[in-house]
Amino acid sequence: MENFLLKNIDNPNSADIAEYEQAGGYKNLSKALGIKPKDVLDEVKASGLRGRGGAGFPTGMKWTFATADPKFPKYLMCNADEGEPGTFKDRPILEKNPHLLIEGMAISGYALGAEYGHIYLRGEYPEAGDILNSAINQANEKNYLGENILGKGIKFKLSVHMGAGAYICGEETALIESIEGKKGQPRNKPPFPVNVGAWGMPTIVNNVETLSNVPYIIEIGGENYAKIGSSECPGPKLFSVSGCVNKPGVYELPMGTTLQDIIYNHAGGMRNGKKLKAVIPGGISTPVLPADAIDCAMDFVAMPKAGSMLGSGAVIVMDEDVCMVKVTYRALKFFEHESCGKCVPCREGTDWLRKILERIENGKGTQGDIELLSDVAGIMSGKTFCPLGDGAAGVVMGMIKHFRSEFEEHIKEGKCTF
Amino acid sequence: MITLTINNKEISLEQPMTVLEASRQAGIKIPTLCYFEALKPYGGCRLCVVEVERMPRLQTACTLMVADGMVIQTESDTISEVRRGILEFLLINHPLDCPYCDKAGECELQDLVNKYGPAVGRHKEEKRKVPESHKDQILARNMERCVACTRCVRMCSDVQGASAISMMGRGNDTRMEPFSADSFNCEYCGNCLTVCPVGAILSRLYLHSFRPWQVDREVDTVCSYCGVGCSLTVQVRDDSIKRVIPKEGKGLNKGLLCSRGRFGYEYIGSDDRLTTPLVRKNGKLEPATWTEALEIVADKLQGIRKESGGVSIAGIASPRCSNEDNYLFQKFMRMTCGTNNIDSISRTGYGAAQKYFEDLLGQGITSNLIDGLKNSEAIVVLGGDPTSINPILGLSIREAARRGAQIAVIGNAKGLERFKTLQITAPVFEEAAVLESLLAQVFASKGERGEHAFLDRGIADMAAGTSTVSDVKGLDDLKKILLESPSTSIVFGTDLVQRSDGHRSLFAVSGLTYLLEARLYLLSEKANEQGVIDAGCVPDMLPGGRPLHIEDFKKKFEMLWKDSLPDFKGKTLMEIIEGARTGDIKALYIMGENPVFNLPDAKYVKEALDSLDFLVVQDIFLSETAELADVVLPALGWAERTGTVTNLERRIQVQKKAVETSAGMEDWRIISEISGKMGYKMEYKDSEDIMDELAQVSPLYRDLTYKEIDRGKSIWPYHGEPLRGAEISEIPAGEEVQSGNGADYYLAVDRPLFHSGTLSRRSPALTKIMPEPVLRISAASAEKLGLTDGDRVNVTTSAGSSETVVVVDDSITDNRVYMGNNFKDRGACRLLNFRLDSVTKAPGIEGCGVTIEKR
Ligand SMILES: Cc1cc2nc3c(=O)[nH]c(=O)nc-3n(C[C@H](O)[C@H](O)[C@H](O)COP(=O)(O)O)c2cc1C
Ligand code: SF4
Ligand code: SF4
Ligand code: SF4
Ligand code: FES
Repeated sequence: MENFLLKNIDNPNSADIAEYEQAGGYKNLSKALGIKPKDVLDEVKASGLRGRGGAGFPTGMKWTFATADPKFPKYLMCNADEGEPGTFKDRPILEKNPHLLIEGMAISGYALGAEYGHIYLRGEYPEAGDILNSAINQANEKNYLGENILGKGIKFKLSVHMGAGAYICGEETALIESIEGKKGQPRNKPPFPVNVGAWGMPTIVNNVETLSNVPYIIEIGGENYAKIGSSECPGPKLFSVSGCVNKPGVYELPMGTTLQDIIYNHAGGMRNGKKLKAVIPGGISTPVLPADAIDCAMDFVAMPKAGSMLGSGAVIVMDEDVCMVKVTYRALKFFEHESCGKCVPCREGTDWLRKILERIENGKGTQGDIELLSDVAGIMSGKTFCPLGDGAAGVVMGMIKHFRSEFEEHIKEGKCTF
Repeated sequence: MITLTINNKEISLEQPMTVLEASRQAGIKIPTLCYFEALKPYGGCRLCVVEVERMPRLQTACTLMVADGMVIQTESDTISEVRRGILEFLLINHPLDCPYCDKAGECELQDLVNKYGPAVGRHKEEKRKVPESHKDQILARNMERCVACTRCVRMCSDVQGASAISMMGRGNDTRMEPFSADSFNCEYCGNCLTVCPVGAILSRLYLHSFRPWQVDREVDTVCSYCGVGCSLTVQVRDDSIKRVIPKEGKGLNKGLLCSRGRFGYEYIGSDDRLTTPLVRKNGKLEPATWTEALEIVADKLQGIRKESGGVSIAGIASPRCSNEDNYLFQKFMRMTCGTNNIDSISRTGYGAAQKYFEDLLGQGITSNLIDGLKNSEAIVVLGGDPTSINPILGLSIREAARRGAQIAVIGNAKGLERFKTLQITAPVFEEAAVLESLLAQVFASKGERGEHAFLDRGIADMAAGTSTVSDVKGLDDLKKILLESPSTSIVFGTDLVQRSDGHRSLFAVSGLTYLLEARLYLLSEKANEQGVIDAGCVPDMLPGGRPLHIEDFKKKFEMLWKDSLPDFKGKTLMEIIEGARTGDIKALYIMGENPVFNLPDAKYVKEALDSLDFLVVQDIFLSETAELADVVLPALGWAERTGTVTNLERRIQVQKKAVETSAGMEDWRIISEISGKMGYKMEYKDSEDIMDELAQVSPLYRDLTYKEIDRGKSIWPYHGEPLRGAEISEIPAGEEVQSGNGADYYLAVDRPLFHSGTLSRRSPALTKIMPEPVLRISAASAEKLGLTDGDRVNVTTSAGSSETVVVVDDSITDNRVYMGNNFKDRGACRLLNFRLDSVTKAPGIEGCGVTIEKR
């Protein structure tokens, strides 16, 4: 399959508007403005596009909710917070192909009746900020953005908002709070952002990759798009592969490519010929899969059946030398650090889990600690305010389920066995 | 109609609400921690989880809205397990220092763990350690105990509107902290204290001094400070007040209090209290027995009445005293001393305005419910800052602002800085002109209302004679807002009464109220300013606002009081002072007032009082005025006696006795004793007895009893007969006086949030919050004068000079500088001259041009 999302990124000037136009860029914008907003929306619905931020929510449905709400103004937020460990798939778009995102947002804004867009950018991506800002300036100059896009009387203004380093601000309602200038913490749902979002107005939050797919849908039509990859969640998908493989990196592959295929064919197989032990398939919040479970299609439908989730498509590969207790401990350090503190199960639970894991990893674990870990994770699971805490519990439960013996050995030996 | 099932019980609801609210209505208890009724749901603690059929996970009852056909279980094994688990979580970092924590016994966490929690915890590691912070003088913070429910923060920002505190840090490091870091730079309402479920925020007024279960007595009463009249509960041990708390949902304040109400109670136990009568002997005040003191007073007053007649005797009543005290005081003055020379400090503001408004617009025109303010679409605020004069009323304005109302401030109001939508600068001495111009513009658009011909005519005449003040910014916008608003309220502070042309402002506000059919609220600094008037402590009106000059009323009272009433026109407050100076007044009886400190031009007032033959002062402290007296009689204070007060809505409430003291006697009892000795018998068992008589004689208070008052039912117009319609049919014409004198800066009397008159200077907590007088000054003025925050300056007027500290205040938009009248020898009133308003007889402030020099 020919790359669409990562098209042209090997060109050193790919972020420049001239290069982008050269390669056919912004034609889809002009095409979209030639049809009614409702028709654009229908194309997106027909495409079957599902959100690439992690939850896989049908984009057409989200947009329909937002356009059904009569309140104005509406806001379009691009979620570029990309904070999930193992995830770096939006980065090449932001840094190498910013005009694709801009074009996608301009088309989406048109379809949604939103005149203002914000890109909420991960605080640790300062270069991307500079690149996006100059790309936005270029697009403004060329009337692809602004008060009167392509002379058609359409308005869409775009700006970049730098995050300050909180993972939770990637959660859409925390993102909105943060953009409003408040502390980034998730809001109660319902009401959903599509009805009551930023400054109380209908707000559409979509991932970078989701929005970057929109020009492609316009280019080839929703129906054709729906034929790519998995039938229930079609389209091209970016996978960021990291860990013990020969060729870590971002791969654009059809949705539904198997984990096996990704690791062994695209990412060049295991590094130093080591044996595969485990894979975290969709970013740190998704449950781990043991080596024998990787013959599964990477999409939003098949992965839950395989015992995990597609998440952001961040594949973390671990070989036989990796200590799973240490991985769990490191993951919980992350969650404890990133817990926003709003709800008790996550705030206290991640702290407690981390403490127990720390002592096991340091050889101070005692009999009953594994049961305690399971209990604590069990209390958290399903009871936290937002998916962050759930994710933390899921990591622990998944690790114990598949690698219980490693925990037991740590406790028995009184030290890390790796 | 929504029908749902909770615990197999079918429930029908008229209105959408949360599952928690629906359960509570149905008498089903669900444990909660982060939920607080007055606050928006948060959903943080997860204790309120319930099972809902067809929903995949447990749901939090406090955030879930009911839906038709929902089937809910609030108790199950799974739910109990979750609650137990969450409570175990809450304790892993909790210090569990209950034996040492003030909150033990009324701690929600303790109670929850007791009921739903595990018996032992499994956490082995070190707990989070955060030292208790005592950097603030009033509030201690113990963040080890904080459960991060954010109730305090939601209270502070969403209800109080102070936005002074926040949850700092993230995850397990989350803690409440003031933005000002160490100490609280806030409004000190202490409402965060009320809502904190654990011992994380503590009052240093009683830290470690008692346990909640160790109080001897709890008395539900009413605040002693301002004219709002908040309900509060006094907790007493060993006959001293241990603390003052609001009761959730009780009273018009609905569980909220301000700094004065909550922390200002300590003056009652002050060491400076008068404990025995004092009699001047050889020029010095010496302790005396009650019998001796009362006899001297009776003899002296009797003698002066005989010699010079009742006209030479005068009385000053008090808006700090109860209705019963004031009723008896004026009866004593009129019947026992034979004089109509009776007035109160209310004349300088509230009383003057009240009378003017009622004369023009009818009795009860200012008797509007505070709670209704929040529903206004437009609120005009003028003549003072409601959030400091009447803080709880101020909260209703903030609430209206949050609901999207237009808030227009004419002049300065610091507490509305973040809530106002429009501010209009009215230059000193030109306030009346600005208001007249506004009225003229509104009249030009709306025309006559046709209800009161004389008013329509008066407005038309005024409009014809007014050249619009065109250079006042925002006046057009305000006019537009007012014409468009379907419900307008005017909140009137009394600063504008204190002008020698104050009646012009009063007329303009009356006209606006009339044309816009607005609700009028009159700010009231002291607890019983309305009551002192309704009890008859004004020269020309009998209890219930009955004009003395109307023969029918006079006859009726003479029959009830069994003697004839004095027949001459009585003097108003400043006329009484002037009378004392000229010798027309020979004896003056002052109950609970401090004219030397509270009236303008202290030197003049002092000279006047010095010229008296006989001065009696009845008070709880040896005030600046009491120091001049011939006899000083110690009275009982708030919480030491029972009596009713009438708030600015004209709601009558009972201030109840909570502590026993031998310090003095009730004001009414002192008066009745003296009266008896002078031959006019006053025999009452208690204050309730007096209220029974008052209910009989005052047409307003028909059938009013303590019982009914206690039920919270005594709201205007009670069961009585207000004087319907306007009292007069002609606009009183006053002299036009031009008082501007082209000064660079003008001194205005500040009414700070943390003080009230001179009572608060004896409340250590309030003096800790605000230890000395400050001069609030605009940023522009400060820059011109080269001053910054904290500079010590001398403030000098033609009447004198005072030393104070500069506070630069961005909310001030003009050349006024504000200084309060609270601290001994450093009050603002002393620095002011005055000239009487010819209509209202209120002292208009003059000579307030000041120079400010850095020390
Ligand atoms: C803790 C947490 C972190 C998240 N971080 C991101 C993120 O970095 N980027 C992102 O696009 N979505 C993130 N999401 C998902 C968003 O809430 C939201 O579902 C997504 O932005 C919607 O866009 P989509 O429909 O295009 O996927 C996160 C969700 C959670 C609960
Ligand atoms: S699960 Fe709770 S504490 Fe954790 S990030 Fe979400 S809201 Fe915050
Ligand atoms: S200080 Fe008290 S009210 Fe505030 S968050 Fe902590 S526990 Fe809750
Ligand atoms: S608003 Fe007035 S009545 Fe209420 S607590 Fe404060 S001072 Fe007392
Ligand atoms: S009371 Fe419902 S989550 Fe705290």
